[in-house]
Amino acid sequence: MSNYFNTLSLREQLAQLGKCEFMDPSEFTDGVNYLLGKKLVVIGCGSQGLNQGLNLRDSGLDVSFALREAAINEKRQSWKNATENGFAVGTQEELIPTADLVLNLTPDKQHSSVVTQVVPLMKKNACLAYSHGFNIVEEGMQVRDDITVIMVAPKCPGTEVREEYKRGFGVPTLIAVHEDNDANGEGLAIAKAYAAGTGGHKAGVLMSSFIAEVKSDLMGEQTILCGMLQTGSLLCFDKMVEQGMEPGYASKLVQIGWETITEALKHGGITNMMDRLSNPAKIKAFELAEELKVIMRTLYNKHMDDIMSGEFSSGMMADWANGDARLLAWRKETGETAFEQTPGSDEDIPEQEYFDHGILMVAMVKAGVELAFETMTAAGIKEESAYYESLHETPLIANTIARKKLYEMNSTISDTAEYGCYLYNNACLPLLADFMSRIDTDVIGRGLQLDDDGVDNQHLIEVNASIRSHPVEAIGQTLRGYMSAMKSIS
Amino acid sequence: MSRAVARDPETGRAVRLLQIEFDQACLRFNDSFSLLDINWTLGEGQTWAILGGSGSGKSALAAALAGAGELTSGSLTGAGEHVGIVSLEAQAALIERERLRDDSDITDVVSEGTPVRDMLDEVCTDPPLLARLIRLFRLEELLDRGFRKLSTGETRKVLLTRVLTSHPSLLVVDGPFEGLDAQTVPLIRDILQELSARMSVLLVINRFDEIPGFVTHAAYLEKGRLKLTAETCDQVSMNLLSRLSHLKTTEIEIPDLIPGARPPALKTGEPLVDIRKAAVRYTDNLVFENLDWRIEAGQHWQLTGPNGSGKTCLLNLITGDHPQCYSNDIFVCGYQRGHGESIWDVKRHIGFVSSELQWEYRVGTSCRNVIVSGFHDSIGLYGKVSEQERQTATQWLRVLGLEEYAERPFNQCSYSDQRLLLIARAMVKHPHLLILDEPCFGLDDLSRQLVLALIEKICRGSESTVIYVNHHAQDKIEGIEHYLALGADRDQH
Repeated sequence: MSNYFNTLSLREQLAQLGKCEFMDPSEFTDGVNYLLGKKLVVIGCGSQGLNQGLNLRDSGLDVSFALREAAINEKRQSWKNATENGFAVGTQEELIPTADLVLNLTPDKQHSSVVTQVVPLMKKNACLAYSHGFNIVEEGMQVRDDITVIMVAPKCPGTEVREEYKRGFGVPTLIAVHEDNDANGEGLAIAKAYAAGTGGHKAGVLMSSFIAEVKSDLMGEQTILCGMLQTGSLLCFDKMVEQGMEPGYASKLVQIGWETITEALKHGGITNMMDRLSNPAKIKAFELAEELKVIMRTLYNKHMDDIMSGEFSSGMMADWANGDARLLAWRKETGETAFEQTPGSDEDIPEQEYFDHGILMVAMVKAGVELAFETMTAAGIKEESAYYESLHETPLIANTIARKKLYEMNSTISDTAEYGCYLYNNACLPLLADFMSRIDTDVIGRGLQLDDDGVDNQHLIEVNASIRSHPVEAIGQTLRGYMSAMKSIS
Repeated sequence: MSRAVARDPETGRAVRLLQIEFDQACLRFNDSFSLLDINWTLGEGQTWAILGGSGSGKSALAAALAGAGELTSGSLTGAGEHVGIVSLEAQAALIERERLRDDSDITDVVSEGTPVRDMLDEVCTDPPLLARLIRLFRLEELLDRGFRKLSTGETRKVLLTRVLTSHPSLLVVDGPFEGLDAQTVPLIRDILQELSARMSVLLVINRFDEIPGFVTHAAYLEKGRLKLTAETCDQVSMNLLSRLSHLKTTEIEIPDLIPGARPPALKTGEPLVDIRKAAVRYTDNLVFENLDWRIEAGQHWQLTGPNGSGKTCLLNLITGDHPQCYSNDIFVCGYQRGHGESIWDVKRHIGFVSSELQWEYRVGTSCRNVIVSGFHDSIGLYGKVSEQERQTATQWLRVLGLEEYAERPFNQCSYSDQRLLLIARAMVKHPHLLILDEPCFGLDDLSRQLVLALIEKICRGSESTVIYVNHHAQDKIEGIEHYLALGADRDQH
């Protein structure tokens, strides 16, 4: 197997990368009908597998779970998850041959072995679905010609996929058909019905490609989503403690701060996040972000380049082959950092204080989102994809840090994301060392504490114009508009 | 009358201090009506408003203060003496006395009966006040008329004057504004206010908004029981009292259904729910097994059982919120579960309220939208809302007495207001099946009364079949006649 993306001509690569269109809700009026009465078998009963399975069954579809014999015999967690939720469970040998649609919802690193085992068991003209295209794009998995290969990727953690469905809504979802495997021309119909079955059609579906999904997903998770938040957490915490601030407060300000400031991002983009600051603080955050973008741009470019060339995936796969040695070492190192080891204090920090005392964190989010977005779109990825993989997902990842710090984030995200996050963090920490030496607690920890909040009008107008005119803000407004058009009123 | 002696600061005369105490008192009034387990103290200087629906016993309580009724258990001290009462009953008694005095059937001389002047002088201890009231109520030209010849309103005025000028320690007026013309109402209100500074006053009132501003305490009766008392300065309690009395004392209509919004009709003859040999089990725990439950349309059920006996689990099998509904033999509202139906097909027929739902309803949306979301079975709103849906939601807000909260964010409402809104959300589409899982859980006494009143109204007033879960015996709902018990309760039955 070789990297599929690299087998394509530049023309084909650009065409695939540039695929991402918002689908009109009228395309989903048939709901799940295309799959009604068909047999869906899910492989993998983790968070995505279980929760997507629950949604699909609640939408009227026939869903069962194929587990390894050992998992069934030893009544492992995956077996408990499936049976306690009332699903029929069987071995792959029992269930796969009956399946019209096989949903591979295992972790990336199992894909090759799972798909290799499963495909020979699949009946002719059946369909294989992924929720992440790494195996096809980066590993170059070749699937039997008669089998249709599709992707349905909800852009949220599995628990969120379920919660939104139960509310009567869904999460934004990306679908794609692998053009090399669509012999019967039914890939799109299946993908649409599958997306409707998870509720995704209510929140908006983007028609994309395996390649666009993989390349943008890898880029987003390595840089702004996980990498920047990890590096930022460590730097901000250490700076406050170094300056003699109470470690419990510093820990809490960082841990809950990401969630609080990115909540503002979720509602109104970078503009709204910046608007939560006082005028002098906004100007300060803007200046810091500009400086950070200059320092970090090379790093973002390097990540994008390594992802495009396949350098990243081959490096990670080498670590898979080596028993995850690097991943496990980095995970351990992260667990031993002072930020991870210091519990947050019990004191109540008012919501606004997270902004006022976290100016540097706001600047880091702004710089990271804009850089990731700019780097992706410069590489040929559509703005829609770039938006979802940068700004849209940042609050979701920040939520995990708010729960249990970096440990929770790294155990929630995929191993692929975690590996990329450490790569970023290891490069970014030294890169920002000089910058951080010039930082004081006025921008992280204590706030500006000015007697006078006055600013120069002309300067403020320029700063505001610069924030508002960034392309991530324009596409963000459009896509959030779709969401709220569906969410309608409040 | 238990009474301490105090001195009037102006005259220095001893004055009687009033105290009437009911202690677990039950009083029988006739074969069909009793006041039950009344615990209540009415003290000197208080001004009470008593509220309640018709048949609640509010007039009986007023009469009991004047000594009526037969005490069957408990104790009652201080009632009867120096209590002046104005009521339809008192009026009827006077008219009856007049009838007996009238000897025209013997003498064959048409009698005018006792003139008003005599009726007033008979009990008067305060001539200056009498003169004032005669002027105030414009009774001058009635003074020589026979009492029996007066109109209802005139009789009322005379009666009031009679009682007021007798200087009771406690003045009881049952329906102080009944039968009075618009000009007289403020006159009466003013005079009552003036008197309330000098004596204890108790007013039996039919509508919450008739409570005069000078009232210091309010009480609410229902089915012969005193359900709550509150000081009028307690805004929270008064607010609830307002809604409670609103529900019981005005004839509320469950808002009509929007054409086309009701779930599709179900086949007649089919049960609403048919659960056969159901079991819910986890790896290490069996919640229940071998459970059969068939619910026919129109059969209201109460489900009981101790904590952990699986009540919520069982209900979630019906609503489809429990995943094991797919591994059981369950028929709900026309669907054999797990045969290609969507959960939203099933939910269309069901209205549902539970504590769990309330926890899950963490959406920053307005109270009105929470009710509208019942049309869509969603938490929050994700589709276009029609004007009719909005209007129906507004009607429901009116039913709940929460009109002014229409635009308030749901998550800023009190727990019990949220519960009320969710009950309305469940009812708004007139579902075939209304499932209320411990609707009173976590509610204070006042809110509980309010919720129960609403459910009873729903049981009586709509086409929904109700399943009600509660383990408080006192929260019985009229109209529920079928019972299913789980756990230890199940074994006992």
